[in-house]
Amino acid sequence: MFSQPIDTLIVFTVTTPLIGWLETKIHLKNLCGVYIAAGLIFSGLSLRELFIKALSEPVTLPVKTSPFSSCLVIDRLSVFMALIFTILGLLATVYSIEYMKEDDGIPFYYTLLSAMICGMLGVAFAGDFFTLFVFWELMCISSYALVAFRKHEWEPIEAGLKYLVMSSAGSASILFGISLLYGLTGTLSFTQTSGMVINSNIWGYISLSFILLGFGVKAAIFPLHMWLPDAHPAAPTPISALLSGIVIKTGVYAIIRSLFSIYSPINSSWQAALMAIAILTMSYGNLAALLQDDIKRLLAYSSIAQIGYILFAVSTATTQANAVLGLTAALMHIMNHALMKCLLFLCAGAFIYRAGTRSLARLSGIGRRMPLTAVTFAIGALAISGIPPLNGFISELMIIYSGIRCNAYIPTVILLVNILLGFAYYLRLIRIIIWSSPSGRLNKAHEAPFLMLIPIALLALACIAIGIYPSPFIEFARQAAESLVASG
Amino acid sequence: MSNNLKEERKEMITLNHYLAFSAILFTVGVYCLATKRNMIRLVLGIEILINAANINFIAFSAFRSKGFIDPLAHSIVIISISLAGCVTAVALALVVYAYKHYGTLDVRKLRRLSG
Repeated sequence: MFSQPIDTLIVFTVTTPLIGWLETKIHLKNLCGVYIAAGLIFSGLSLRELFIKALSEPVTLPVKTSPFSSCLVIDRLSVFMALIFTILGLLATVYSIEYMKEDDGIPFYYTLLSAMICGMLGVAFAGDFFTLFVFWELMCISSYALVAFRKHEWEPIEAGLKYLVMSSAGSASILFGISLLYGLTGTLSFTQTSGMVINSNIWGYISLSFILLGFGVKAAIFPLHMWLPDAHPAAPTPISALLSGIVIKTGVYAIIRSLFSIYSPINSSWQAALMAIAILTMSYGNLAALLQDDIKRLLAYSSIAQIGYILFAVSTATTQANAVLGLTAALMHIMNHALMKCLLFLCAGAFIYRAGTRSLARLSGIGRRMPLTAVTFAIGALAISGIPPLNGFISELMIIYSGIRCNAYIPTVILLVNILLGFAYYLRLIRIIIWSSPSGRLNKAHEAPFLMLIPIALLALACIAIGIYPSPFIEFARQAAESLVASG
Repeated sequence: MSNNLKEERKEMITLNHYLAFSAILFTVGVYCLATKRNMIRLVLGIEILINAANINFIAFSAFRSKGFIDPLAHSIVIISISLAGCVTAVALALVVYAYKHYGTLDVRKLRRLSG
């Protein structure tokens, strides 16, 4: 119905509560987690076939079109994003099996998790605006419920409510923008609207700004970011990792998609504004992260800063020649940041799991008690601050290069200063976690459970591997960028 | 005679009227979100925002070409209403839990987080 990866996930999502019932009947622990992990593996495997088809030309589904059916157009960019979503979703699921062991309502947790990933895949595959919106809401609604999953504490509820109000106001703004676009063009398909908005009047810009406002809430762009530093720390750690790693990236993906394929002829006019917003976003995120004491809150603010870097790369993609370069840098950083931030959050989750606190002052020196987690945490922190043999260096270098290529020298200098700022607080984090001597409270802490270490180790390996041998990944990102530029 | 009257009535409410109405509705929704303290009113504000967009869709589909109503917009609106229902359900569930924790519906009392 909606291409094989999504169909597989939908089947697994819908049947998870039944499996949860079975779990209690036959007293087999962790059945739900394993079930969803299997579902993600199957759906990831079916991506391969789609990728091979999408290499030559975008796959359009369903083949038979009627006005009432969904519309999916899967090109290389969609597959690129879908691959990131599925892999990180799988790792977070494996991590959840151990991390969420003590909570109630585990089957619902996995159902929501799988529905969220399903929604993200749908956003990546959507070929018209309304399909995108429906899957977007699927992702949003399940993420509200996931943020507030530990409903017996006050913090998740308050953060979840704040997230819900802001994010659904954003969704309503998207819908309003879409309705104006429908009035302008009479259709919502990406391929048909591109080019039709060119001759239109001011309404094209108004509809674009409503849509960008809505996606900007999800992507946590500077004035619309207020929900993020509350919602990400309050969620259970695997969900924070997914929210910071990939959910905010769907916002960026939707912005890229709207700017390059739907409104493509309004090409250069948004560049300066987007660059200014990107600079503001990254500066705010980095400055606020310097002051945090809560480890997850610090990582959440750092995510805002990284969104700024990605938007900067998008804003450098102006002329035909620069477009592929800037977009490749943006996509590389989307992938790298997803890996690094997921790694950092999962490590932080392991510290919290053993120490029972999120405060940096109380966590100081915990690295001595959990050496493996501490080493991988250091790898993640060094990668995200752009130290050479790791993956963050590659994409940050590409962003700086594309900034210089489009002659934006002063913004590039501000970007460099921001990267240094990021390095400063990650060094502080490493110093607190690893170099301080552990306090007496942490005597009981010991190495994280094996099931939590597997995803952490895999992510750390991926960070090193992409840093040492980036060319196949850059090639993949370049192909994805080219397919987007060609569609516009 | 009756035909003439019908024609006149058709002309009386034009597309612009609907658009202005939905713009006003959108403004009301934003105002509600920005100023109201009661959490349930915030949820209603979101509903109003979504309905403003729905009215836009219906108006555009009716005025697209004479005597023809685009079914695409109608299917969109029906799906969008059901999505809005889902959002409201989750929102009200969260409001209930917030009420259990804080004992009030005043959103300004939920100030322990400083984001």
